[in-house]
Amino acid sequence: MNGVAVELLKSVEQFVYREARCMDEHRYDEWLAFWEQELLYWVPCDDTDEDPRRAVSIIHDRRAQLEQRVTRLKGRYAFAQQPRTRLLRVVSNVEIESDSGESLAVGSTFALGDWRSDRQTAWFGRNRHVLVRHGDGFRMREKKVLLLNNSGALGNLTFLV
Amino acid sequence: MGGNPGGAGGIDALVRDDGRVHSAIYTSQEIFDLEMERIFHRGWVYVGHESEVPNAGDYRRRTIGRQPVILVRGSDTRVRVLANRCRHRGALVCENDKGNAKQFRCWYHGWSYDDTGRLISVHAPEGYDQTLDFAGNSLTEVPRLDSYRGFLFASFAPSGKSLAEHLGRAAGYMDISIDASPAGEVALDYGVHRTKYHGNWKLVGMDGYHPTVLHASMFSLRSKMGQASYQDPWEDASASATRHLDNGHVMLDLTGSRMHNLQEHLDTWEKVEGGPEYVRAMRAAYGRERGDYLLAQMGDPHMGVFPNLQLIGSHARVVIPIAPDLTEVHMFPMRLLGVPDGVNEYRLRRHEFSYGPASFVSPDDAEIFERTQIGMMAEADPWLNLTRGIRRETRAADGSIAGRITDEIPQRYQLQAWKDMMSEAA
Ligand code: FES
Ligand SMILES: [Fe+2]
Repeated sequence: MNGVAVELLKSVEQFVYREARCMDEHRYDEWLAFWEQELLYWVPCDDTDEDPRRAVSIIHDRRAQLEQRVTRLKGRYAFAQQPRTRLLRVVSNVEIESDSGESLAVGSTFALGDWRSDRQTAWFGRNRHVLVRHGDGFRMREKKVLLLNNSGALGNLTFLV
Repeated sequence: MGGNPGGAGGIDALVRDDGRVHSAIYTSQEIFDLEMERIFHRGWVYVGHESEVPNAGDYRRRTIGRQPVILVRGSDTRVRVLANRCRHRGALVCENDKGNAKQFRCWYHGWSYDDTGRLISVHAPEGYDQTLDFAGNSLTEVPRLDSYRGFLFASFAPSGKSLAEHLGRAAGYMDISIDASPAGEVALDYGVHRTKYHGNWKLVGMDGYHPTVLHASMFSLRSKMGQASYQDPWEDASASATRHLDNGHVMLDLTGSRMHNLQEHLDTWEKVEGGPEYVRAMRAAYGRERGDYLLAQMGDPHMGVFPNLQLIGSHARVVIPIAPDLTEVHMFPMRLLGVPDGVNEYRLRRHEFSYGPASFVSPDDAEIFERTQIGMMAEADPWLNLTRGIRRETRAADGSIAGRITDEIPQRYQLQAWKDMMSEAA
């Protein structure tokens, strides 16, 4: 890898780490600012990520739904997040899969620990970000999260993944 | 009744006619065990939908109570429910959640069964001196399986009430889901949201009192219902009702307020891709009056078929008891046959808004069930109060018992059916 490629990878890594930290700390408005105007936040379900028009998803948000999600979580009545889930995630295996100049497809993996109601839950998954260059940084156009156990019976997943 | 779960007086004393219920029915392991035996391993239990096994060899792994079973369509085209247990020494013969197979081969010692459950070969058969009775070693078939318009119910009891008797008036209301399709047919082939919560299975219930309180965060997102004429279906003053149909099948009957809001619902379809064609197709299929009624209901009867099926929103929900304080809820969105793709896609995205582990409604339900399960451990005064509206119950023209939308008719009558089944010794 040449110096330019290393720099690019580093800046992409820093971006996904910052996004992870923002989600861990429930900083919803800041997280919203990571996104492009036109967006897709997609968490497939039941081991199928082919066509969300023909299969139910855990999350399939465009901007309107994502804003509703954030509004709900910020309000006082989202009881599944009262109290909030304590979160800590390790993001790793960051790879730039493709670079069109305007946008990048980035793969990564994560291990996420959640602590709530005297219970610790472990989540694992694979992210695929589509990042658009913006100033000297990036914005997310798409984020797809493949949870390892997305065909299993899931408990409270009302925090950001 | 063997034993005496829950203390003096047994089951009868725990569910009182005056609407007071002892919380032991949600917390006791002994009562849970008895529920498995007397409700799930005896009565009619929903096991799946015909559209999940359309072709010969198609199968789904399911459970009935504690028992692992296979729902499978045989090469003779018949659908069966077979115990997922090798007749040799008991190993699972089907390990995948779903698929298509000509044979189920047990990987322990190689006994193989065809898709009708017949034992067809064993490894090294000579060891049985030609005495092995193949015909007598088929996978054990659950004795009764019957369908209501594609919804399959099984019962381990070889005889007793028919499915039609069991469903009673509930069947006609299930039609609201099915006849949301102009072809009168739905398919459960969009996958499934599987969720779980640490609470008793009966807490899923069917409750018209809680939405405005527990789901306030969702209503505040949706408060734009606009028109002054719009009737809030969750208000007691609305034309909504709670209803006991038969045998513990209950309904948050929103049909009245939805008819009041017919125009809003028709306006919604105007804006959905393919919606105008859908409205035309429904009126052509069912006539203007029935067509509009069904369109107003949005395919949602909001009903519970005791003990384990609910039809809510656009999905079929299966309640799966795992332990007294652990329950899985599987939600299968229904695809309407004979409608434009945009209509089904709209229903799917609407489902995801409200239901599933990361949605805006059902996680708050799961959360409150967990808090309830913990709260009920404070047993100094164990009596729950399910008396709401007990003095304003009425008998409707069709014979069902009705109350206002916030009344606890569903809770009282589900538990009445529960008590009847739990009290039957044999
Ligand atoms: S247990 Fe199945 S072949 Fe032995
Ligand atoms: Fe609810």
